[in-house]
Amino acid sequence: MNERVGTTVLSLTGISKVYGEGPTRVDALRPTAFEARAGEVVAIVGPSGSGKSTLLTIIGLINPPTAGSLLINGEPVITDGVAVANLTTMRRRELGYVFQRSNLIPFLNAEENVRLALEIDGVPAHQSRTRARELLESLGLGKRLAALPGKLSGGEQQRVAIARAMIHQPSVVLADEPTAALDSGRGRQVMELFRDSAHAHGAAVLVVTHDHRTLDLVDRVLEMEDGVLSEKQPA
Amino acid sequence: MMDLAVRDIRNDLSRFLLTAAGLGMLMSVVLAMTGIYNGMVVDATVLPDTYGGDLWVVQKGTQGPFAESSRVPALLADRIRAVPGVERTRSYMTLNVQHELGDGETLRFMLAGLSWPDDLGNSLPLAQGRALRQPHYELVADRALGLPVGTSLRLGRDDYTIVGITSGMVSSSGDPLVFASVSDALRIQNDLASEALRLERESRVSRVRRSEYGRDPANLARAGSAAPLPVTSPPPVTAILVDVAAGGDVEAVKASLLGWPDISVYTIDEQRELLVRGVIDRARRQIGLFRALLVLISAIVMGLIVYTMTLDKMLSLSLLKLLGAKQRVILRLILEESLLLGISAYLVALLIGELAFDLFPRRVLVQDLDRLALLGVILGLSVAAGMVGLRKALAANPNEVLAS
Repeated sequence: MNERVGTTVLSLTGISKVYGEGPTRVDALRPTAFEARAGEVVAIVGPSGSGKSTLLTIIGLINPPTAGSLLINGEPVITDGVAVANLTTMRRRELGYVFQRSNLIPFLNAEENVRLALEIDGVPAHQSRTRARELLESLGLGKRLAALPGKLSGGEQQRVAIARAMIHQPSVVLADEPTAALDSGRGRQVMELFRDSAHAHGAAVLVVTHDHRTLDLVDRVLEMEDGVLSEKQPA
Repeated sequence: MMDLAVRDIRNDLSRFLLTAAGLGMLMSVVLAMTGIYNGMVVDATVLPDTYGGDLWVVQKGTQGPFAESSRVPALLADRIRAVPGVERTRSYMTLNVQHELGDGETLRFMLAGLSWPDDLGNSLPLAQGRALRQPHYELVADRALGLPVGTSLRLGRDDYTIVGITSGMVSSSGDPLVFASVSDALRIQNDLASEALRLERESRVSRVRRSEYGRDPANLARAGSAAPLPVTSPPPVTAILVDVAAGGDVEAVKASLLGWPDISVYTIDEQRELLVRGVIDRARRQIGLFRALLVLISAIVMGLIVYTMTLDKMLSLSLLKLLGAKQRVILRLILEESLLLGISAYLVALLIGELAFDLFPRRVLVQDLDRLALLGVILGLSVAAGMVGLRKALAANPNEVLAS
């Protein structure tokens, strides 16, 4: 288990997102407060259009909030809706991303896709190669290192994407419907992988999902409805 | 950092190679145009370069044999030889010949006179055979004429034998050069049919009868006889070439000759300049404009190709941005691909040049400087095309990845 496990790595206070104004105003995300700790897997569920993706893009530092503050590892990143840190650097070092479609770079093989997350942050090639191979081998992809994404199955692609999201040991991993394109068995495998990786790498994993079959594998479930985020009580 | 551009190219190598081949062909036309122009200049200056001479003396008010028609008396060579500082004079003349061969084929060439015995053609770039050894009935022909040593040609009323073959000796119009002694060249030039000669003699007698000279009964008797009247001077030549003695002052000799009212005098460099500026300037401008047009078309084509290549990668570029890649990573990817495409096209153009330019009917002369200039142009185009792609690439939105 990673020594970071249990510490708060993500903290949102009063984060909101409003599109338009006057009669066209849409409150995509109402003021939201929320924390995530290293090592935990948090599922965010809710109907389409409820604001899940908006929340994900705000936490992913892709889409600025209208108001509110966001801290990663206690360091202010957004204060009162304004970026106070270098978002590109924060994305590179503190965040990992996994998508419904793996979105691997098609001209890089499995190993290179994973190495990329390290090398864009200046890690030398020999180090990135070793770490990528170790991680992919631990995910059962030791024999698929040289395969291009087009030659990998959906499950293999998703495991490579998870490796890419985890390799640089980010504080927060954001996953948008990562099991939607997988069958039930592979979906559970992916969620187990998130859980194991979160503990091993000391990251908080936020999973936006419609897949209720895998919710028993997460630590917390948050529900989003009409832009309001609330803790869902265990069934 | 791994080389993303090389990996992207490797992923679809055949497409890249085909694109590079297409661009390379376009670039090879630019190179060919340059080579054709250079070849034109070399072909045009073959004659002054071969004949040499410090000064070229031509008909007063004309700019010499390459720019316009010039006629000077052959005896002018003897007058000039008497000028202090002059070591040697040679007659120069050329004429275009179109000769019908027995099998109906037409042989077209430029006949150039060599001033026997001062100039036997030893300075010609002989590939086979020898220079002239006798003042009459021998020719030295260029390989482009397509006739071997020993071939006999009937020109005018006489048979001439090819005794030597040169290489790369063509006129500014691309016709092969054939060398004969000046006296033979004049004989061929002034060859007249028997009837024309008879009429000319009758005309001469008639003129004499009407002149003061014809009032003398003795002269009249001679003019009316069958014997032709002697011609007053040998036929004119085109120019007289003057070699100044070693250590002599060319400018001083030129200044001395310029005082003569019946001639104009040019140094050989002035002749070359007149030739290049006057005779081939229009062709040069035409080729220059054509080249500029080709470069412009290449720039547009290359810009479009790089732009399309960038569009194909937009999702990957958005992903790179989402992962926090610095702008220089994206800049390097786009520019490197554009440069690799340009360099590959350049190599294809060079290869086509090596394989195909020798097959062209006229000389295509590509020099190292031209190759370097083309490389510079291609690198410039690559960077410009890369900028087009880069503008699109830098606009990649990380949100696109989530929306995909």
